[in-house]
Amino acid sequence: MGAFNRGIASWLGRLPTVWVEGEVTELRRQARWASVFFTLKDPGDSACLAVSMPRGQFDALRLDVADGDRVHVYGRPELFEARGEFRLRALSLERFRLGDHLAAEGLFAAERKRPLPSLPRQIGLVTGNDAAAKRDVLSTIQARFPPASVLVAETYVQGPRAAGSVIETLAALCRQPDVDVIVVARGGGSFEDLLPFSDERLVRAIAACPVPVVTAVGHEQDTPLCDLAADARASTPSVAARLVVPDLTELLQRLDRARTGLERGTRRALDRERQKLDRMHERLGRAPQLLVERGHSRLEHAAGRLRALSPKATLARGYAIVRARDEIVRAGGDVEPGERVEVELAEGGFGARVEETR
Amino acid sequence: MSEPTFEEAQRELEQIVHRLESGEVPLDEALRLWERGEQLYKLCRDRLERAEGKIEELATRVEATREKP
Repeated sequence: MGAFNRGIASWLGRLPTVWVEGEVTELRRQARWASVFFTLKDPGDSACLAVSMPRGQFDALRLDVADGDRVHVYGRPELFEARGEFRLRALSLERFRLGDHLAAEGLFAAERKRPLPSLPRQIGLVTGNDAAAKRDVLSTIQARFPPASVLVAETYVQGPRAAGSVIETLAALCRQPDVDVIVVARGGGSFEDLLPFSDERLVRAIAACPVPVVTAVGHEQDTPLCDLAADARASTPSVAARLVVPDLTELLQRLDRARTGLERGTRRALDRERQKLDRMHERLGRAPQLLVERGHSRLEHAAGRLRALSPKATLARGYAIVRARDEIVRAGGDVEPGERVEVELAEGGFGARVEETR
Repeated sequence: MSEPTFEEAQRELEQIVHRLESGEVPLDEALRLWERGEQLYKLCRDRLERAEGKIEELATRVEATREKP
């Protein structure tokens, strides 16, 4: 019988890892047990499936799963040989539609995304000792922006300890005073390998990280939930590197262009002022001559008016001025017959005596 | 005034250039802007040139911090 059970067990062991969805019932967890047990129930037809999960792994998720919760269990069917009991051995577990749940909370909202610094003082890099992803990020950063400073933090990037370890690493990097952007890079892997990057705790930690986070996890087609919570998501580690550092050559060109503009702008302002000054100076130089000319014409004008007012012009037309006792005679009664008067003409004059008055 | 970050310096420099190139800036103001612009340009260049590419391991850094009295 033992052989039979072993045979069934090994046959079951060849089945692939699967996702099973259901409602948690009869959750049993005790500190002295190595595993946590519960039954998954299909809410539709009440079909049941016994599930066990290593307690450490279950606790590490800190999901507070309770009876009645709908969950997704990722695991492998197995036979508990000693008792001939069939069950699902869970490797991971997440709340039903965790993504939808977190999205509804607003964790993935576009307005939460922070801009990345254009020139970080120091870049934190969270990566496995998985050479490819780390090398890709570092070599791209160094090629694009040689002065970059990177603080590499190696951590577990797969397995049951990965999520917790990435969370701790993120926190440790955030404590470094100069780190102002963090890249989480992990090369491609199986769906199972990438599971920690959909772990609710890690997703929340990334969303709550005080420093902007760029994720490059798995391949283009993978979308672990941490990608949705990150401030920027890159399809590959080298794309992530391009997001966190500027191109030095371009940056220098841009700076030099700004400086050229600065000089040109200042020179233009100077030239404009100089021209304005020159025009002023020229006008100033013309001023004395202008004053003399203006004085002349004013004098001419006054002379003309003076001439117009002078009686000479009137005399020239044939009028005469008659004076008696140095007073101008305006009426016949002003003089007496026999009185001497002086007559002034346009040219010269003569003395005369009054014959009679009227 | 505290030292601006690289981004702040670069942005201010470009705004100054924009003002100098577009507006009728009075001479005193233009000279003042130019001086400030040169200062910002130098600051940006210095930042880039002074920084040496550096790759450190966090573990090493944490150890080093611990060893300090």
